Formats: sequence, C-alpha cells, structure tokens
Amino acid sequence: MDELKIAQHVNRRLFLTRAGVGLGAVALGSLLEGEGLHAGTDITTPKRARGGAGAGAAASGGLPGLPHFPPKAKRVIYLFQSGAPSQMDLLDYKPALESRRGIELPDSVRMGQRITTMTSGQKSFPVAPSVFKFRQYGQSGAWISELLPHTAGIADDIAIIRSMQTEAINHDPAITFVQTGSQLAGRPSMGAWVAYGLGSQNQDLPAFVVLLSRGRTDQPLYDRLWGSGFLPTRYQGVKLRGGKEPVLYLANPSGCSSPTRRQMLDDIGALDDLHHAETGDPEILTRVAQYELGYRMQQSVPELTDLSSEPKSVLDLYGPDVMKPGSYAANCLLARRLAERGVRFIQLYHMGWDQHGDLPNQIRSQCRDTDQASAALIKDLKQRGLLDDTLVIWGGEFGRTVYSQGQLTATTYGRDHHPRCFTIWMAGGGIRPGTVLGETDDFSYNIVKDPVEVYDLNATILRLLGIEHTRLTYRFQGRDFRLTDVRGKVVDRLLA
Amino acid sequence: MQAETPVIHHQARRMGRSVAIQGTAGMLALLVLATVAIAARTDDPGRVDFRKEVLPILSENCFLCHGPDSGTRKADLRLDTKEGALRAKDPVIVPGKSDESEVFLRVASHDADEIMPPRKSGKKLTSAQVEVLRKWIDQGATWTGHWAFEPPRRPAPPAVKDRGWPRNPIDAFVLARLETEKLAHSPEASRATLIRRVSLDLTGLPPTPEEVDRFVDDPSPDAYERLVDRLLASPAYGERMAMDWLDGARYADTNGYQNDFARTMWPWRDWVIAAFNANQPFDQFTIEQIAGDLLPKPTLSQRIATGFNRNNRTVTEAGSIDEEWHVENTVDRIETTATVFLGLTMGCTRCHDHKYDPIAQREFYQFFGFFNALNEKGVYTETRGNVPPLIVLPRPGDNRRLAEFDVALAMVKAYGDRKHAEAIAKERAAFEKSIPSVMVMEDMPKLRPTYVLKRGQYDQPDKSRTLEPGTPSCLPGLPADAPRNRLALARWLASPGNPLTARVEMNRVWQHHFGMGLVKTAENFGVQGEPPSHPELLDWLATELVRTGWDLKTMHRLIVTSATYRQASRVSPALVTHDPENRLLARGPRFRLSAEVVRDNALAVAGLLTSRIGGPSVKPYQPAGLWEELAGGAGEGAYIQDRGPNLYRRSLYVYRKRTVPHPMLATFDAPSREICQVKRARTNTPLQALELLNDVAYVEAARALGQLMIEAGGCTPEQRLVYAFRRTLAREPSAAELGVLGRGLDRYLASYRTDRDAARRLIRVGESPPDSRLDPAELAAYTACASVILNLDETITQE
Repeated sequence: MDELKIAQHVNRRLFLTRAGVGLGAVALGSLLEGEGLHAGTDITTPKRARGGAGAGAAASGGLPGLPHFPPKAKRVIYLFQSGAPSQMDLLDYKPALESRRGIELPDSVRMGQRITTMTSGQKSFPVAPSVFKFRQYGQSGAWISELLPHTAGIADDIAIIRSMQTEAINHDPAITFVQTGSQLAGRPSMGAWVAYGLGSQNQDLPAFVVLLSRGRTDQPLYDRLWGSGFLPTRYQGVKLRGGKEPVLYLANPSGCSSPTRRQMLDDIGALDDLHHAETGDPEILTRVAQYELGYRMQQSVPELTDLSSEPKSVLDLYGPDVMKPGSYAANCLLARRLAERGVRFIQLYHMGWDQHGDLPNQIRSQCRDTDQASAALIKDLKQRGLLDDTLVIWGGEFGRTVYSQGQLTATTYGRDHHPRCFTIWMAGGGIRPGTVLGETDDFSYNIVKDPVEVYDLNATILRLLGIEHTRLTYRFQGRDFRLTDVRGKVVDRLLA
Repeated sequence: MQAETPVIHHQARRMGRSVAIQGTAGMLALLVLATVAIAARTDDPGRVDFRKEVLPILSENCFLCHGPDSGTRKADLRLDTKEGALRAKDPVIVPGKSDESEVFLRVASHDADEIMPPRKSGKKLTSAQVEVLRKWIDQGATWTGHWAFEPPRRPAPPAVKDRGWPRNPIDAFVLARLETEKLAHSPEASRATLIRRVSLDLTGLPPTPEEVDRFVDDPSPDAYERLVDRLLASPAYGERMAMDWLDGARYADTNGYQNDFARTMWPWRDWVIAAFNANQPFDQFTIEQIAGDLLPKPTLSQRIATGFNRNNRTVTEAGSIDEEWHVENTVDRIETTATVFLGLTMGCTRCHDHKYDPIAQREFYQFFGFFNALNEKGVYTETRGNVPPLIVLPRPGDNRRLAEFDVALAMVKAYGDRKHAEAIAKERAAFEKSIPSVMVMEDMPKLRPTYVLKRGQYDQPDKSRTLEPGTPSCLPGLPADAPRNRLALARWLASPGNPLTARVEMNRVWQHHFGMGLVKTAENFGVQGEPPSHPELLDWLATELVRTGWDLKTMHRLIVTSATYRQASRVSPALVTHDPENRLLARGPRFRLSAEVVRDNALAVAGLLTSRIGGPSVKPYQPAGLWEELAGGAGEGAYIQDRGPNLYRRSLYVYRKRTVPHPMLATFDAPSREICQVKRARTNTPLQALELLNDVAYVEAARALGQLMIEAGGCTPEQRLVYAFRRTLAREPSAAELGVLGRGLDRYLASYRTDRDAARRLIRVGESPPDSRLDPAELAAYTACASVILNLDETITQE
C-alpha cells in the first residue's frame, strides 16, 4: 500500500466515525469488521476475495484502552425471560408462606408501596403460597422448584441472585430499563454498548446478535431493546430469525444464482472504484467493503444456522424442540454456535412469563419449554471449555406479587407485577459458581439482605467483560452517557 | 477537541499493527492539526477568545462541581457565571494576574492534593488548555455569556480577495474563512451533477433525463436559478421538507408503547406538507404547532397543526399509573419543543439543575407548566387508536353516509323492527369509528397546579410552592403583559428577540443541504454543544431568516444558489486529510441519501413511483413475520401489505410502527420516532448492501428499469446502458464505465440464455407484471444490469 492509499484508509475511518453521531464515536462497529485493514480483504485490489475470507478470531474494532481490566468473560449470552418469571414459584423458596395461605398481605410488609392499577382496585390481597415443591440441590444446597429439574442439575455451576430489584412496575419501562439502563426509549442497549466498546471477534458476523422465541402468554417486545440509541446504528443488534432467511434480505432473489451475484458484485465494485478515482471520497471504498462483507455473510450465516452437523447427543441435550426453528431450545443451541464463532453479545428473548392468572398451569408449560435448554446450554458450553469465558445470564424484568391477583383457590392463583424483588441466575465468565446471593422476607416482598439494583447487575456484567462501567461513555447532547447512568456498584461477591 | 484525540491514537495503534508504513507520523500529525482547526478563528490572533476557547474548557472540566447545579456544587464556588467566577469576595480569578488566581494555580498544579480537576474525576487539562486559561486571565479575564444565549448580531459580509467568486453573502463568509486557511474553493460542479444534486436535495426525487437535457442545454444565464424556482414550486418540495420535520416531531402511526396500537396522525403530517408547500412563514408555522388552538378563532387547520405535540408516545399498558404517564407525556413535550425550537437539552433539568447550562430544575417545571393544562389522561388503558382531545375529520361523503344511516334507522324503527334497527345502529357505529380523526392540543378549563417534582418523580411533588409557567431566565423573558399560557410560549419561541429559534432552524436548513450543520450538534446549542464552524455566517443566516419574514423557500433558494453549494464535490487526498468532514466547505456537499430518498429515488428511476400526496399511511413490501415475531404483532396482528399503487408511494407515507420500524427505513438510519431526533446518523453497513441487492422492492425496481431500457432506451445494448445510467445518475457514463456495464450485460445474457427458468423467476419478483412480450432471458439480463446501477454508491449519494 502506498502512502496515499493509507491516507485514504485513515480518513475513511475518520470520516466514518464522524459521519454519524459525532464526537467520541471512535470504533468501527459490529458490522464493519473484515473491512479495510485486515488481512483477507484488501479493498484496494479490484478482484476481491470470493467468500470465506477473513473468518478469524482476532479481536477488532472497539475502543482504545479497552478492556480496562483483563476480562473474565469474552462474550455474553443473555437469556432474557420476558414477562417476569415468578420468583417464589421457581428460585426463591418461601416455606413460611404455607401457614399464611389466604391471609391478607400485612401492611407492615407492603408498607404503602405502589402496585399496578390491575390489582390496586382489589378488595383483598390474599397471600398465595406456591403450589410447587422445592428441594435443595448440589453442594451449594440451593433451593430449587420442581418446575426446574434441569436447572437443578446445574446448581453448582450457577450463582443465584434472589435480591434483584427494579424501579419500574410495567413491562415496557421495566424491560427497557434492564436492557438499556433507562425506563424510557432513546438509550443504547447493553449489547450495543458492548459492541461499541469491545468490537467484534468475528469478521464475518455481527458483534451483537438477537434471537427471539415465543411463549404462551406473550408480552410484546420492541426493537429498541436491541437498538443503538444515540450510538451509531451500526452497533444495534442484528436479529437472527428462524426460517430460511435468518438475516433480513440475506438470500439472493429467486433467479439470481451465486455466480450471477458474484458477477454483479464485481461490476458494482469496478464501477465504484472508477467513481472513487474520479471523486476521491473514501466513503465509496467503505461501501465496496461492506458489499463484500454482506456477500461473506451470505455464506457465514447459513452455515451458522445449519444444525445438521450437530451430533445427536448434543441435540438430545437441548431437548425435543431443538430442531424447531425459532424455538427457545433451537435458539439456545444457536447461542452456543454464535459463542463459538466469537460473537460478542448474544441476546435471547423468550416471551410468555406474564402469569396474571392461572399461574400454576401456565408456568408449568413455560418451564417445560425453557428449563432443559437453559441448562443444556450451560452443560454444552462447559463440555467445550467455553463456559470459562462466556458469561450467561438468566432473568426477567421484575418479580411477581405474593398476593393473588384474582381469586385464590387451593390449586390456582395469579400474580401481578412486583418490582421490589426478583430472582435471576448467572453462570460462567468469572462468576463464582454455586453461589446464592441475597435474601427476601418471608413474603418474598422486600429484600432483607444484599439488594442488587439493575445498575449493579449491569456494572457487574461490564466488569466481567473487563470494562469499568463508569469509563464506557458516549458524548451525546453535551453529556457523557453510560449504561449505568450515574449509578452502579459491581457486586464483588458474585465474582470468582 | 479532547474527545477526538482518541480517534487519532486509535488509528495509529491499529495502523501500526496492521501495516508497515512509512511517513505515517507526518500524516498523523497533519490529521491532528486538521481536527483542531475547525473552530473558527478570532480576529486578533494573540487574543484569547473567551467563548470559543475558555468557556468550553471550564464547561467540560469544572461545571460538574462548580456549575449551575446547586445540589452538587462544591466549595460554594460557581464558575459558570460572571458573578461566581469573578467574585470580589475570596476572588479565585484576579484579572491580569494569573499567578494570583486560585483557578489558574489549581489547574496548573502538580500536587496531587491541589490539582483541579481532582484526579478521581478522570479529567485533566492539557498544557495547551492551561496556557489558554493563563493567557485569558493575564489579558484581563473578559467574561461574556454563552454565544447562543445572546441575540445574533447581523455581521457585514467580510471582504475577500477573490471577489469574482461569491454569488451571495454566504459565499463571502465561506471564502473569507478559506482564504484565512489558505485553501482554494472548488470549481462549479457540472450541470448534470448540479441538477441531480439540487433535485434530490429540494424534492427528494431525481431529475428525468428530459429535465437534465433541458437544463444542460439552457444557454440563459439564470438557467440554474429558474431550475431552483421550479423545484421549490413542486409539491414534492413539501414532501421532502416534511421528512426532516417528522423526525423532530416524532411523528408515527402507532402509539409506541407495549401493544403499540395504530393511531391516525397523518392529517397532521399532511398539514406539515401543505404548510411547507404554501411556504408558511416559519414563525407562523411554529406558533400554530405549539398553540394554534389558542389563537383567536382558530381555523381547523390551525387546530390540526397542534398535533405536533400529540405525536408523543402514549401508554395503554394495563396496570400503568395515570399520573406517572401524564408526567412522562409532558416531559416528552418539553424535550421535543426545547430540542426542535431552542436546541436545548431541557430534559437534563428534570431531576436536578442543569450541569452545564444555566437552567435550574425549577425552570424546567415552569416550562412544564405551559403543557400541564392539556386535557388528557396519562393512560388510556387498552384504548386503541386516537385518544382525546381530538378532532374528527370527515372525508367527502362521510357526513352524507351518516345521515343515510340515520334515515334508515328512523324508518326501521318506525316499523318497530328492533332486530334490524340494532344491526343498522351497529353498522353506523363501526362506520363512524372509521372516520379519520387527529389528536390535538386542548387545555382544560381549570389548570393543574404545577410543582417541582423531586428527583423528577411523578409522586414526589414539592407542594410547598406552586409554580407559574415561565421560560428559562438565561433567555429573554416573556412580555410582562403576556398571559402565562402556551400561546405566549409559542409567540416567545417565534419572536425575533429569541436568540435561539432562528439560529437553530437555519442550522437545520444548512444541515439539510450540506449533510452537517454549521453547529454540528444540531440538537444542542447549549454550553456543551459544539461552537459553530462559521459563527458569523450562522448569525447572518438567522437574521436573514427573520428579515425575510421567516421565509423558508427564500432561505433554501439563497443557499442552493450560492457558489459554495454549487462547488464540485470532488476531493483531493490532501483536502480529505486536511478537512475530512468538509467543515471548511472547500468543496461541494457529498453524502448518502436519507433512508426515504434512497427508496424514492429507485422507484422514480424505475418509473414505478406513485406521486399521490397525503392520506393514510401505506404498507409496502416487508419481510413476512416481523410483526408477529414480537408477540403476534401485539395490538395489530400481522402486517397486511398493500397492493397496487400503494406499493410505490413515497417513503414518507410508509406506515411507521414504532416498536417494529420498517427495516428498509431502519437499515438506512431512519429513526424509530419514539423520541424527538433532529439529526440522523449516516452509517454504511453490509445490511444496506443486502437490502439494496435482495429486497423485493429493489429487485422489482431493477426489473422495471431493465424493461424501460429495452422498451425506451434505444436499439443497441450501448444505447440502453447509457439510457439507464442517465436515468439514474443524470450524467453520461465514461468509456470505462460503459465497458464494465457492457461486459457484464454480455455475461448476464449468456447466463440467463442457458438458464431460462432462472430468468423467468427473476423477472417475476414483485407484484407488477413483467411485459410478457419480452424475451425473459434478455429482460433478466437487463434486470441484473439495472440492479448493478441501482446499487452504485453514486446512486444512493447526493453528489
């Protein structure tokens, strides 16, 4: 490369980082890898690599100076359980409730805290003990519900946090809060922050990938949950969809063969190069490189989503739904495949945890759909040696009330939203396994020990990735924003 | 500037790793120089300019603890006001004597316990910044307020050496700066480039080949000016200008939270288009949108205009608390109004005093007071569609239809036919519901009392003091006799005495034409915003806007007829290095088209575009399942794609579902419209490539263009290729370009002639039928060629 070309490279990058939102945008983002200065694609050569080039594990993009610490986790798999799983039916065992069945929730417990308008009109708030049995598992002796037999099997691999709390009481603001650090729209999602800060480890796939699956009583999700907010849009999550076109517009149109497409790309590239020689704008060369990356994704993505090479033993581990595209089980297996390929942030959402009524029946099927695959993912990562540097998080946006929404009977009840405590678990990537952190009162209503705010959780996730959460910032509207706003304490007791 | 240094380091690091290079150091040094050179220069080179050099240092490094926020102020020291910084008692800055000034001594200190900012803040002044402070104090520590809060003064256009170049005062300001920088301006762009540039810019649509020919061959000296006048008079002008405005106004077709039900705000959108086309003066445009309902005897149109502040998202989620969302809705209106008209980040003062700008939390809630009287609920649980206050807008014939129902009902009732009467009544109700409405502003008879909300929490009002609506004290106040209501606010926003409104609007107009504002942070004119690259030019434009009676078309015309705008965008490697963002304007603008225009341009080039203005939003092609996979489309079910002409309407009419933005728009950086946004990112990603190559909309456009090539482009392949090239890019292809296209066409022909089945499949993509008289293989080959042309960087770029 001669000096002029290098100047063009540098300026193209400078131009790119500025063309978007402005000051402080530094890194090349999730979608720009494999471009420019990497071996494998020399954008100054007219004849381009014909696919497959550049697949590698070298980290690239990301901010200078990051990570701040040696990272424990190189990537994250976030198993988001949307709708809010009931903590006292799953992981927050409350034996003392049985003797209080049906009594009014004492004012000394509720302490005047706000409740949603779905139940604020109820005349009575009867205590509803869980109908499910609990047992202790593993060396940690964690109490786990019979609804989660597979999770029980990994009790010594996970850290259970029973003292999560949030500020929001309705789904939309609560999910937005967990995923972006703010209840209102407009902030970047956690995955976008991580892609922005750390860049990608794979040049043929985006750094931030999103997978969705449906449950039974679904609360909707919103694109903003994996959006880039005020960060450049290239950091937003790329949704991988079930079905034959996992990335939007990935497949060539009917009647356009692979050689024809290659020919078209060569023609486009040749014409763009001619125009670049004429006008000198380095942005044109970036565009050519992006067309090549798009072409490589046409190979790398179908290869990624093709599960036919997985041995039966692995498929069996994830359970019977694994071959159903778009199922939670299939997405968990895909998450492992994405992790193997160095994708930085893998965000799953499983809907259907919003059990306002008929909770025992609904949560049973919800657990049947998810328990095995969640545990299988941990086992599968572990057997491949990937769990050590992959952080896995399982959890929702808030908890559920101890009092019954609607009528309480011997066999059924419903539960309303409850922001004051909920339970999540984490595993791998620097998490101390076999930990149980935090305690709630006898009603699973208030936290009595070791409260963890959403900000703290997010600070801890960043910490495990080697990021000091106060130092991953982006200047917008004259202010340095961060995922944890002005809050957040790393929860040291979770760290191995 | 500080924030930009890491860019350079980062580049250096990466380059060092990736390639062995010679001479990089020199080039990087040049880059560093280039990046610090953007801020405008002062007249006297030895003299420190307080606003441009000192205030940004203080703001960035000191205001967090010694600024406007009284809640977190340390040591009772305030450095954001003259009274605080130059206080007489315990002085911290002694004018003329830096060595006696505590502020200077502390920032210059090497003692870890003494140094400011403290080490734990992570901030540190560079030695150059310390030197700026020293010089400023030694030169007398002159204090002036933040530039944007002082009224623009109309400067005389500066004298320039190259007096032959300027066409209007804009050019004098630009050229004076170029001459200081010892840079040459660029020559005028070719006529073909100019007509394409200005057509896309003013109308969002490309010129037809006939229009290009007419302009290129027009010998009259005012050919370009007449072209501009024709474009400004085109109804497409209003459509294009509306696209930008809708982002700021966060206009969409759904309510935006949770189930995201459909609403109908398109009558407001159509009002915006009409207002731009009628060239409504910008002050009127402002007043009607903020408070048209409070004008004396408001017209229907003036009431519809107030939909601006009903475009905010609204909550329907079960369980939501009314008062909480009443507050959120109001906060959104404040943030939007302050960003769009004032370029201020008022949202920062919701929970505490502003950290940088002189705006107190109390003042936020005084501003809140203007919007606190709206007669709405915070939550309309599971109410679909528009919620009150609203206006019903019967279409022609709707009232007659209702009357017919009434007659029928009366007749059936007269016969005592209860069953039929019920059926008709039901049908009538359904019909009545289908009549469009629009949400508008309308105040309650009795105002809600306004209080400061502690930490911004809806349930923490400080009831010790009721606030009267008011504007921030750092700006000129309301007239003493004005009522304290929205109309007074609207008139205050649109008054020539407001230092921000005209500047903020002209900055956005400039951003529209050049891809970046004179103030790069179009959303923030506060102390932390970036100072303007050409402050005198911005002030001249702002005063000119007011002088012309807030005449936007005149201002657009002024800019696009300037020599600055008419420059070629070709750039030398040296200039790319020196001024990568083209802040100095030594060349014409060149930037990627916005999302809507990318698609509209392709549809127009392909001859598919439906040019109907306004009406309900449309649903063009969208990949199946996108709504369903987010919980069954939540409130709306599946996306039901339109058929026929609605597939080819302009993109500003595409249905905007906020929680699931149309990927075609989102991929090219169109915002989701959840919140106000006045500047778009402009990214360059592989998803864009995949979309333009594979989306049915673009494949169909390629086939339509391919068909035009065969049917209207001439007899020879070469003629047809030139035809498509000119249709798309306005210019003639070079011999080399024609060579690439011709060789490509031959290969596509050969390939589709051997695989006629593939050819038939390709030309059947899309709902418009291909011409069955054409040879499928030939049409498929031309389709591939047309797709190549539609995918060129130049095609999606305003050159």
